[in-house]
Amino acid sequence: MAEEFNTDGMLDMFLYESSQLLEKLEGILLDKQDAECFDDSDINEIFRVMHTIKGSSGIMMYENITKVAHRLEDVFYYLRESRPDNVPHLELVDKVLAVSDFISGELAKIKDGEKADGNETELLADLDEFLNRLKGEIKDQGIRLPKQQKHEEPSQFYIAPVASEESKFYRVVIHYRNDTQMSNLRAYSATYALKEVAEDLLYTPEDIISNEASADVILAEGFYMLLQTKITADEIRTLIDSSEAETIDIEEINAEQYGKGLVELGHVEAAPIVINLEGEAGAEKQEAPKAAPMPGDYVVKSKETGKGKTLAKNQPKQQSIISVNVEKMDALMDLIGEIVIAEAVVLQNPDLNVPGLELANFQKAAAQLSKITTELQEIIMSLRMMPLTSVFQKMKRIVFDVSKKLGKDIELEVIGENTEVDKNIIEHISDPLMHLVRNSVDHGIEEDVLDRTKLGKPERGKITLEAKNEGGKVYISVRDDGKGLNKEKLYNKALANGLIGDKAITDFTDKEIYRFITLPGFSTKEVVTEYSGRGVGMDVVVKNIQSIGGRLDIDSTEGQGSEMTLVIPLTLAIINGIVVQVGNSSFVMETASVKEFVRVSEDAIVQEPSGEEYIVLRGECYPFIRLKDKYDLEGATSTVSNGIVVVLEYEGSQVCVLIDRLLREQEIVVKPIPPYIKKVRGLSGCTQLGDGSIALILDISGLMENKERSQ
Amino acid sequence: MKILLAEDDFASRKFMDNYLSRYGECDVTVDGEEAVDAFMMALEDGEPYDLICLDVMMPVLDGYQVLKAIRDIEAQRKISKEQRVKVIMTSALNEERNVKMAFELGCEAYSGKPVDVEKFEMVLKKLGLI
Repeated sequence: MAEEFNTDGMLDMFLYESSQLLEKLEGILLDKQDAECFDDSDINEIFRVMHTIKGSSGIMMYENITKVAHRLEDVFYYLRESRPDNVPHLELVDKVLAVSDFISGELAKIKDGEKADGNETELLADLDEFLNRLKGEIKDQGIRLPKQQKHEEPSQFYIAPVASEESKFYRVVIHYRNDTQMSNLRAYSATYALKEVAEDLLYTPEDIISNEASADVILAEGFYMLLQTKITADEIRTLIDSSEAETIDIEEINAEQYGKGLVELGHVEAAPIVINLEGEAGAEKQEAPKAAPMPGDYVVKSKETGKGKTLAKNQPKQQSIISVNVEKMDALMDLIGEIVIAEAVVLQNPDLNVPGLELANFQKAAAQLSKITTELQEIIMSLRMMPLTSVFQKMKRIVFDVSKKLGKDIELEVIGENTEVDKNIIEHISDPLMHLVRNSVDHGIEEDVLDRTKLGKPERGKITLEAKNEGGKVYISVRDDGKGLNKEKLYNKALANGLIGDKAITDFTDKEIYRFITLPGFSTKEVVTEYSGRGVGMDVVVKNIQSIGGRLDIDSTEGQGSEMTLVIPLTLAIINGIVVQVGNSSFVMETASVKEFVRVSEDAIVQEPSGEEYIVLRGECYPFIRLKDKYDLEGATSTVSNGIVVVLEYEGSQVCVLIDRLLREQEIVVKPIPPYIKKVRGLSGCTQLGDGSIALILDISGLMENKERSQ
Repeated sequence: MKILLAEDDFASRKFMDNYLSRYGECDVTVDGEEAVDAFMMALEDGEPYDLICLDVMMPVLDGYQVLKAIRDIEAQRKISKEQRVKVIMTSALNEERNVKMAFELGCEAYSGKPVDVEKFEMVLKKLGLI
């Protein structure tokens, strides 16, 4: 994420606003691509968008963007003023898209800290040519050309600071020898040596020059510095005079720790990110920060050594929207996860397990606490929710581009684009969804219109993008009315590629066969096109989706079309789980994946010669896993009748797991397994239970995969 | 060209002084009040500055106050928009709202810190100073 870390607020705002405007622009274009022409409000809107981008890029001094936006603004100026007929609409749409692509490309470069050096001349010439034709057309239609638009050169400029993204953050701690005289002055000389190379430098104690007593503090506790610089730790070491120093610890930290470090060091500086909350409550508070700045706010009150600058605070103004740094949201999310754990630690504390203990009041208070933490969770979840609109917008563009390239006539229907999902999830589904949509356009819809009309389908292909929210999951489906999947073909292909051993086609259910397309190295398309069919793809899609705990469902009717559905949990961090015990270890399974708990007798177990075990339940046969043997757990029961069998379901298939005891159902804060532990198949994470012990979270797909692999 | 630089941080001051001196004679002040005084003095002498570079966070008066004072004085003396001194703010405070306020107060350019010398020069050209 380091490359996305951009500290320049003004630049961020420019990038953000411009990309928002471009998104809006694309929305208009794709809506109106099939129309005869743009209507007045569209023309006005596009004009306005280009005008704004022209202005802001002018201030930011991105000249190529300014020129391109300016030219397109001109085009729309003539359209707006003269309203000519017979504008070549498709060509115009193409031109606008070309401009929008150019600007997006440049914005992406700026975002990555590169120079916006795209060459605009070709595009400009293209637009000029179009504009001249348009003017000619206007004259031919006997409409007077409007006066040349007056172009105001921007008169104010913003110079972005030189990119500081390669700068690193360090925590430097110096301990001086106990007999060091005037350690405060030595510390000062260290800060002085670093000032030359530092982009930012903070230290504690602060008053090293003015306060001689600080020397004692430095001797006792050491001298702490936080440094933002481009140089390496070794270079820092050579800069610091080490003659009296006992130890100099230099540790590289990340930006986040750097921020936290300020607080720890007592340098709580105002972080001017947020705008005010609404309401009078804030108005009362002296401390309520982050109002619009006023002249006089930034007077440096007292001139201390270093950068001990104090910002005067100011009475807030009324605003109803705040923008918050995502990192803060993530931190809040983590904290709430900790609260949920802490709550469990209190409420399930082993100290409470005293027989005959009456705790009526405690229970009441506990219930209240649980209620509040649950509400808290819901709120933070809802804060992180974002509508899928922007993702779907991208899909519209892809359908437009790809279908045009392939010469297919395709209509895209979008349902439920306002469905909200967690921000993290949006980031993860964009690529997979793009892939599915491309696949549908490329492979789903027939190449030859005749193939469609023969089956009585309309000539125009149709792709439906639908999102809905059901039972804690989000369903996003891509449906096409094209060829559909051919089971036989899929089977033969999988067989030929050696992906399924030598099983007969009857051994698989339809869904299992469809799922072949998600196997690595599988592509039924003989001809690889520009857009899809390289054989990498569906397996990557599935991996991405699984990494956020989702799955891909595939359904298809040959000749009628196919439907790919992404099923994704609403949120990643907190799940409902059932805690079970096996031997001395605890495991958690997600409540939604548990089908049933049964007690079975020994004779329900069938053992194959290979050692594989199955359970027969009501005539159905399920694979059977003993967690005790799988993970070598001590003290667990090996007699089936003494334990409990849990039937788990994942993507339509089941697996049975033997456990000793059910403990309880509770909210589980999912933590990743720490990186120093080897990745274990069948475990997706861990969590802390109320009594402080650690429980491992079972990954059902992993368990099944393991089963399949060993077959 | 006559330049006034107001900057309280020694390292930045040295750097900017060095850099600006290639374009003309550069006067330096270390706080906001002094900057306004210097501006007034030059105006009284009939040799006004062509360019003023203002740090934002400064003792006594901050850069915004100085900018406002300068523009007020100019308005009072009926100096036209074309004739007035060009002001470039320099600050590490580059939140959009800070920059916007400076623009509203009437500066010609706002440069983040560390200063991008290449772009700075471009701005000087655009402002017709070099």
